[in-house]
Amino acid sequence: MEGSFGILSAMIFTPLVFAGLVALRPTREAKYVALAGTLLAAALGLVAATQFNWTNGDTHQLASSAPWIPALGVSLSFAADSVSFSLILLTLLLGPICVACSFTAISGRERTYYAWLLVLQAAMTGVFAARDLVVFYICFEFTLIPMFILISLYGSTNRKKAAIKFFLYTFTGSIIALAGLVYVAWTHASASGAWTFDVDTLERAARATLSRSEQAWVLLALMLGFAVKVPLFPFHTWLPLAHTEAPTAGSVVLAGVLLKLGTYGIYRFVLPMCPLAVVDYAPLIATVSIIGILYGGLICWVQRDVKKLVAYSSVAHLGFCILGMFALNSAGLRGSILYMINHGLSTGALFLLIGMMYERYHTRDMRELGGLAAKMPVWATFMVFFTMASVGLPGLNGFVSEFMCLMGVFQASPNWASGACTITGDATPGATFGGVLGPIYAAVAGVGMIVAAMYLLYMVGRVVWGPLVEPHHHHHDADTPSLPPDLTPREIAILIPLAASCLWLGVYPKPALDALRAPVEQTLRIIHKANGTLPAPVLDVPAEFRDAPPAGREEGTR
Amino acid sequence: MTTTTDILTLAAAGGIEPGAGLTMLVPVLTLLGTLLCGLCAAFKVKSKLPAWLSVACLAGSFVAIAATYADLGHQQRLAHGFEWINFSYTGTDGQPVTFKANFAFYIDSLTLLWMLFVTGLATLIALYASEYMSHDQGTGYCRFFAAFNLFVFSMACLVMGDNLLLLYLGWEGVGLCSYLLIGYFYTRPSAVAAAKKAFIMNRIGDLGLALGIMLTFVHFGSVEYAVIFEKARPYIDALKAGHLDEIPLVASFIPILLMIGAFGKSAQLPLYVWLPDAMEGPTPVSALIHAATMVTAGVYLIARTYPLFLLSDVALPIVGWVGASTALLAATIGMAQFDIKRIMAYSTVSQLGYMFAGLAVLSPVGGASHVFTHAFFKAMLFLSCGAVMHGFAGQLDLRKLSGLFRMPGWKVVSVAMLVGCLNLAGFPLITAGYWSKDIILAEAFVNMPGVGWVLLITAGLTAYYTFRVFFRVFMGPTHYEPGDEVHGHDAHGHGDAHGHDHGHAHHDDPHGHGPAVTATAHDPHAGHDFHPHAPGWAINTVLAVLALASFAIVPLMLTGEHHGWAGGMVEHSSAAYHTVGTSGYLEAAHGHGPHDHGHTHGHDHDHDHGQAHGTFLGMDPHKVMYYVSGVVGLLGIAAAFWLHLAGRTSAASSRADALVPAMGPLAGWARGKWFVDEFYDALIVKPLWVISHIFHVIDTLIVDGLVNLVGWVPRALGGVLRPSQSGQLHGYAAGMAGGLALLLIIVLWVTLR
Repeated sequence: MEGSFGILSAMIFTPLVFAGLVALRPTREAKYVALAGTLLAAALGLVAATQFNWTNGDTHQLASSAPWIPALGVSLSFAADSVSFSLILLTLLLGPICVACSFTAISGRERTYYAWLLVLQAAMTGVFAARDLVVFYICFEFTLIPMFILISLYGSTNRKKAAIKFFLYTFTGSIIALAGLVYVAWTHASASGAWTFDVDTLERAARATLSRSEQAWVLLALMLGFAVKVPLFPFHTWLPLAHTEAPTAGSVVLAGVLLKLGTYGIYRFVLPMCPLAVVDYAPLIATVSIIGILYGGLICWVQRDVKKLVAYSSVAHLGFCILGMFALNSAGLRGSILYMINHGLSTGALFLLIGMMYERYHTRDMRELGGLAAKMPVWATFMVFFTMASVGLPGLNGFVSEFMCLMGVFQASPNWASGACTITGDATPGATFGGVLGPIYAAVAGVGMIVAAMYLLYMVGRVVWGPLVEPHHHHHDADTPSLPPDLTPREIAILIPLAASCLWLGVYPKPALDALRAPVEQTLRIIHKANGTLPAPVLDVPAEFRDAPPAGREEGTR
Repeated sequence: MTTTTDILTLAAAGGIEPGAGLTMLVPVLTLLGTLLCGLCAAFKVKSKLPAWLSVACLAGSFVAIAATYADLGHQQRLAHGFEWINFSYTGTDGQPVTFKANFAFYIDSLTLLWMLFVTGLATLIALYASEYMSHDQGTGYCRFFAAFNLFVFSMACLVMGDNLLLLYLGWEGVGLCSYLLIGYFYTRPSAVAAAKKAFIMNRIGDLGLALGIMLTFVHFGSVEYAVIFEKARPYIDALKAGHLDEIPLVASFIPILLMIGAFGKSAQLPLYVWLPDAMEGPTPVSALIHAATMVTAGVYLIARTYPLFLLSDVALPIVGWVGASTALLAATIGMAQFDIKRIMAYSTVSQLGYMFAGLAVLSPVGGASHVFTHAFFKAMLFLSCGAVMHGFAGQLDLRKLSGLFRMPGWKVVSVAMLVGCLNLAGFPLITAGYWSKDIILAEAFVNMPGVGWVLLITAGLTAYYTFRVFFRVFMGPTHYEPGDEVHGHDAHGHGDAHGHDHGHAHHDDPHGHGPAVTATAHDPHAGHDFHPHAPGWAINTVLAVLALASFAIVPLMLTGEHHGWAGGMVEHSSAAYHTVGTSGYLEAAHGHGPHDHGHTHGHDHDHDHGQAHGTFLGMDPHKVMYYVSGVVGLLGIAAAFWLHLAGRTSAASSRADALVPAMGPLAGWARGKWFVDEFYDALIVKPLWVISHIFHVIDTLIVDGLVNLVGWVPRALGGVLRPSQSGQLHGYAAGMAGGLALLLIIVLWVTLR
């Protein structure tokens, strides 16, 4: 882990530099400068992807570190394992797409818009790359301001209210999460006498020193903060409003990446810091997730605003993501991480498509729109494609992650491993260790698959199929640059990378699944070792992750 | 256990075993077809090019499968494509476990049987569609054939996949194509609604299947057939030895879950209501997807995983009774409908019920044989109906068409329809349908006599409603009224024309006592403006080929070891091989064959209703069922002749109308499809709709209301503290800075303490 090569830092700072350029250059160049910045960052990402050692995905790669506040042990340190890096790649992919989709949609105050969009991208990349808690938290919080500006200045009619709610709600949540993180840092500092915010050190310290009940409190604080971001039922009500009011690029970033900050936070901090509490609270969190899946899905079904429908679908979809994570086994956890990426691709694309429709018709009300397949066949083709990705059609990306999440939950019953389900008294061959959920959770959550088909096909049935309905006031008025009825080459070019990614992750997910194996198994070892549910012959935790003072202290705290 | 290791090594090694390589051409060619049709759409091709490209790709697929069959016969092979969902993790014993669902094919005679008729019929029906869909040349035409090819691709994955998850891919893939093709006339709200209904109803079944796959993996540690069957072998051995108690209870849930999937896809009770509505799609689609191939996927699933279905002693009896009830219910509805395409749809549901019952009472042999014969004659029936619809501007009402047999240009269609009807009615000796139905009936009386009686009654009803269509539409006095698509009859199915047709039928329902109602509403176009559009060469060729083929397969039904060629294909597959000697039925089926592994009288583990060997009124069903089912079929035809042909002078009414009042409300109920749709709507859809609205209100008022309340307190305080603050953004930026400051203060306080 020699940390001088800063390609990861370059990915973070490139958008910042270009944000400055956008601010300095004339307005008419703003969009092109921004596009160049995001494309350059994406190119850096591609280069880094070739250098990345995917096989040993659990090691922290592309690391760079610089001291920042030495007195407090704060350093500007970045590194990525394969989980972080996959999410960074998603962010970098969506970057140019978000810029390009705004070319015609945003007119007026363009420099402010593109500059903040670039700042947002830098902050999001920083969240995934940060290996220092203070850096993580600053980036995490700093995503709020650009998003607040994007919604409140460029949103639709109700944008002020939506922006304020978005800001206050998620800010309050993250303050609570901050309290939890500070508590962990403080216990470490008071035990060791020196401050550090290094993520690995604090994770080790947390599981080594925190008692079961302390872990529970930390878990609750962190979960509360991250659950708002995800958003997990019942903390989701800011989301439909924010999505509906945000400009298209805002919605894409919001669904594609910002929500994943919450799930990533849970994966990165909650699981390794509170391994005992995680197991205790898994049934509760799973239940809440399932409620979110069904409740969110049914609410989608009665929406009239097509954008709100897709927004609520995120509540349902991310329920699957969190559910899979708390299966606490390999299939569930890997499915959950893939779900983060897949949801970003397919829901991001759906928001893009709705934005393209909105630019042409200036309404999202399904009573005023219908049968657009007759008018926009190319748009309709993409719409059906991404809807199917979102429904979880096998062969497209959504299925792989959804199936793995559900399968992980299905496997996570203590009964399979206990031997109660075989005549011989052995564990069933497909059992996993240490799970606390089981088939009932999977079956109830699986009903969400049916509900997803109900609301998404309802949407497609209204908007894409049926007799052509266009809003009465619709004419290509002069105040917007007139767009052709169907998609322009620019818009098709935006959608194709997303469609290709959906297809690739659906048909050949093997590389992604393999890359996620090492970090996931690492996390599982940590959790199940702490709980004493790790099977004996499992290889020991690699030195780099080993809890600093060996086993004794950990035993003591249980 | 050498076989186990052999198979496992082979499965692990990947690669394509000799003889199986050509099967890989099927997915390649069909995907190529999809892609080419998509390109045609992109380049706005207006010719029939997509049709010819599709026919070529599909014919190539058929040849590849036929060559594989010629090469392999009944042998079994694996062909590995690439790794799909394939991941390893640490298992409970610390050793790596692999979840392996690859894009790989498991080729045996059961697979080949299915693929032969799927690719063969797909080729013929694509040819038929080249003419039938010609009114839509352009993007619609391309879209149709792209989805058509994609359907065959999905079907290939479903049937040939070497694991349950690839089957699931095909399963949902055919569901997507079905959705796209039912909704082909997408400007018609009824078509859109039908497409959505089909997809969602199927999804209900798919959930069962998905959970079944998960349970299979958890219990057996694999989703690959080769491994599952080996792992299930000890259970089967235990069954043979009579130790039912050695099978863990959990394992017996596997067939129950898989069965739910099968009921959805194959339109069985309680999930059958989507199939009649699916007739909104173009007729070639109805023929291929919703009659001959896709809907038999449920039968395939059960046949393929038959060893697993023996793990529960209630699974097969449920399949049997569900199948029999569906067969009877759908037949009674079919008797009372007037739309000939809908009648055929209900007859499909009914015949699928037969197949399920056949699976339950015999082994996959009877069910699969009936799938095979049914594919031919039902495709033919639909295509004949489609030709009528095409020629008479969308007219499908049997009260408005009569005596087509004697009209010029309709001979081939009429003969094909007659052949199809004879098969469906089970006309003795000369029809393949008779032989395959006979296998099911005889075994049903042996093993589940209750099911046997239901099926026998259904056989009579089937013969009646089948020939009701034939005698009304093709025989009797010549008379026709065009459908509503009279303006430019080539453009049938466009706009809302077809919807009108159904509108009529619904109007009739409330008065609904007899078909005479609409006779007065004589269409002014009839006779002079309108000229029926007799089918062209493509349609006639396809119908002629199918008619000949349906006779050609009769000898196939009689050759082979026991139950004809198709039965032999099943008996040599994993479906039967692994189950030999496990039950009384198989014993009966194999009693004099080379697979006779001795008699295992000791037990009869499943669906034994007190009679190990049922009889038909004291006689051996195997001996008398030939006569009984033949007589019942003839009786049904005779009844149809008496009620619908003899002495009939007009198209609109027949002697049967006099019987309707005598049946009381029953006739109306049957015509109203027993109001199952309305029942589901009132019991499930509406309540769910209401609940969703309630959730929405709760979400807005309570969940969000609480948040607003919480948010209101500090805002009110803030209002008091800094009433003249301008620009809210500053406030929040300040708040965030405050948060960070708080962090620093805490930190500093702790350090400096």
